[in-house]
Amino acid sequence: MTKIFTQNELLQYVYNELESNTQALLEANLIFDQQLAEECAELLLAKASLNQIEMGPGEKTVNAILNYSRNLSLQL
Amino acid sequence: MNIIQLSDSALVSLYIAGNEQAFELLVSRHKNKVYTTILLIVKNTDTAEDLVQDTFIKAIHTMKSGRYNEEGKFSSWICRIAHNLAIDYFRKEKRSPMINIEDGSNIFNHLTFSEESIESLQIKEETHERLRELIQQLPEAQKEVLIMRHYADMSFQEIAETTGVSINTALGRMRYALINLRKKLTNSNIAYDQNLYSK
Repeated sequence: MTKIFTQNELLQYVYNELESNTQALLEANLIFDQQLAEECAELLLAKASLNQIEMGPGEKTVNAILNYSRNLSLQL
Repeated sequence: MNIIQLSDSALVSLYIAGNEQAFELLVSRHKNKVYTTILLIVKNTDTAEDLVQDTFIKAIHTMKSGRYNEEGKFSSWICRIAHNLAIDYFRKEKRSPMINIEDGSNIFNHLTFSEESIESLQIKEETHERLRELIQQLPEAQKEVLIMRHYADMSFQEIAETTGVSINTALGRMRYALINLRKKLTNSNIAYDQNLYSK
């Protein structure tokens, strides 16, 4: 079965939001559709670049949470 | 079995039984999503840090008192607590709880480095700084979706509902954000190489 994938579906694939059967179909298309594969690669590379930085609480906050839990456990 | 490979549900059970390492793993897995969920609403890093603490403390008491409901995902549960606390904060402050990241500079000033090896740290810092700047330069709507999907780990459907647009609009904004970033990163690298080798 041949299916033309939209750009939005490609993005959903990159972020693991496609249903498994649609995902399998798209992966099959990536083998013979060079343009689709290139577009997918561009999105994956952009996504990978975002992974270089992350947003999260500081170490002090995390330690305060863990200490709170440890102290509470000692009291119980 | 290695504790790192355990599911959230198994870690919760271990924690309730007294295993503090299990709780450390739960915090490690979900702290960034909790923090980003709060930061998107309160738009202030100090407040977000405080509310992250409140969120996990509330979770601790719920789990330790045996009131944790195992139905549903731990991730969704902890983020719901975080979201409710952020909204409560707004009610107390009598401010609008609308998600608006016009003040994106504060958010991006707080981006931190992923844990990696220390080699080539200077080059990495420069790359990260450039990436932060490029994200800052994105149109607000694209930047908002990018943060929600990539850093807050919200699904495109959740983003659509939160921002009041269709899922196709959310997907389109994210796609343009990624394409714009990729182009800018590529152009930036080419310029850097030319400076190095042209003379």
